[in-house]
Amino acid sequence: VESLIYSYLGAFDLARENFREAFQCAIETPQCETFDFLIGRTHKYESKADDIREEIKTLMYGKALLPESRGDLMGLLESIDEIPRIFEKILATVQTQRLNIPEFIIPDIQELVRISLGCCDLLTRQVTALIKRTEDMRSLLDAIDTHESHCDHLERKMISKVFAEDIDPFEKLQLKELIVQIGDISDLADRTSKRINIINLKRRV
Amino acid sequence: MTISLLGGVFLGWSLGANDAANIFGTAVSSKMLRFHVAALLASLFVLIGAVLAGQPGVETLKGLTSLTANQAMISSLAAAFTLLIMSLLGLPVSTSQAVVGAILGVGFMNQQMNLSGLSKVVACWFGTPFGGALIALLLYRGLASLYNVLPLNLFQSDMVLRIALIMAGSYGAFALGANNVANVAAVFVGAGQITVLEATLIGGASIALGILTFSRPVMETVGKKLVRLDPFSSLVVVLALAITIHIYALIGVPVSSSQAVIGGVLGVGLVKGMNTINRGTLKKISFAWFLTPVISCFFSMAAIFISRLQYQPGL
Repeated sequence: VESLIYSYLGAFDLARENFREAFQCAIETPQCETFDFLIGRTHKYESKADDIREEIKTLMYGKALLPESRGDLMGLLESIDEIPRIFEKILATVQTQRLNIPEFIIPDIQELVRISLGCCDLLTRQVTALIKRTEDMRSLLDAIDTHESHCDHLERKMISKVFAEDIDPFEKLQLKELIVQIGDISDLADRTSKRINIINLKRRV
Repeated sequence: MTISLLGGVFLGWSLGANDAANIFGTAVSSKMLRFHVAALLASLFVLIGAVLAGQPGVETLKGLTSLTANQAMISSLAAAFTLLIMSLLGLPVSTSQAVVGAILGVGFMNQQMNLSGLSKVVACWFGTPFGGALIALLLYRGLASLYNVLPLNLFQSDMVLRIALIMAGSYGAFALGANNVANVAAVFVGAGQITVLEATLIGGASIALGILTFSRPVMETVGKKLVRLDPFSSLVVVLALAITIHIYALIGVPVSSSQAVIGGVLGVGLVKGMNTINRGTLKKISFAWFLTPVISCFFSMAAIFISRLQYQPGL
């Protein structure tokens, strides 16, 4: 189970890296073949993570861990699993709505993606720390929380900027949807991080 | 002799059905252990405990009153029926109280009781839950400080808890056999029907049979209705129970494992905050404790009265 959890986190990291590449591609050369390929690969890693999660579930309920730990771990993996789904959703938004990200928000949106994916990286470390008790969980929790607040701030700033620009109102709504979806990554990472903290606290007697 | 011993076997069976819940109930209901594994371990160690360490308790109980073979059987059956009724109601009651209540009933009818022996046993009834609570409180604090500094990962700590619970449960079963076998077979030793060794063997085997065949309903009551325990607290409660009744087994006083486990749960509740205790169920159980010796005493008195009735033609 332990090695499967690391495999799961590996698949999650691959999905994250792939999303980073795909989104960069969407900014630079939207609607190109490489972008479609990267979307497909993100989906592949998301599916792989799903399969590993199912395998962990079967194994855990068969013979490993105490019932309380099983429930906690499964809840945690399900919560992490929401993040690759958001990656897919964001890429699908860009692809299906043929979205071109305007110049004036590119630096901010890149910053938002960078910090959000940074939250995901910290989250992976926090899960490893929960299992191995190797790193200070509290400092990771605080770091994710700080990143999430920063993302919220950026999100609001960007939405204001979009609605202040003289562009098509429909495009404004499309961009707002995209910004909110990217903001969901750090929100979910923060929520999952707090969940890990509770699991850790529960384990102390 | 065989027929009268059946009363003891029946009592042992009821005791096993009832008291195994105190040892493995929290573990089984929290699904840390499968029922079948728990039942097998409990029955094996109960038998070992009864044979190796059950003699002092037998000596104490056989000295409470003098019984004939028939009276020994009647007192056993009275106690067993009391336990059976309580088991069907899903209440973890005290076998010691049922047995002593039944012996008391026979003693009343015979107008002969060893009151100093009786007062020693009754005093221990009160000491058991408080002792259990104190031991659980100290154990929780001691083991928690140790557990929190152990450099174990999530998987290792789960494994440690599971193994510790199995070991504590097995020790609890050993202590239960050592302590409670006297409740099952002491009256037959007192009536001169069997030797102490035979008593511990027959008593231990009948308790084991009760565990294997009928202990599941009470296990679920203890685990689920009384309090929802985390794995570490379950371990502390079982260890506190085992230590408490083992101490009484060493000094030769059969006590209630139910009272010890309730004491243990209370002790853990004191450390963690009383809101972990289901007070309603606790009241119900306390009521059952009070009723057990009374009902058992009434059954044995009624049975002795009926056994003395004689048919007189012409009346």
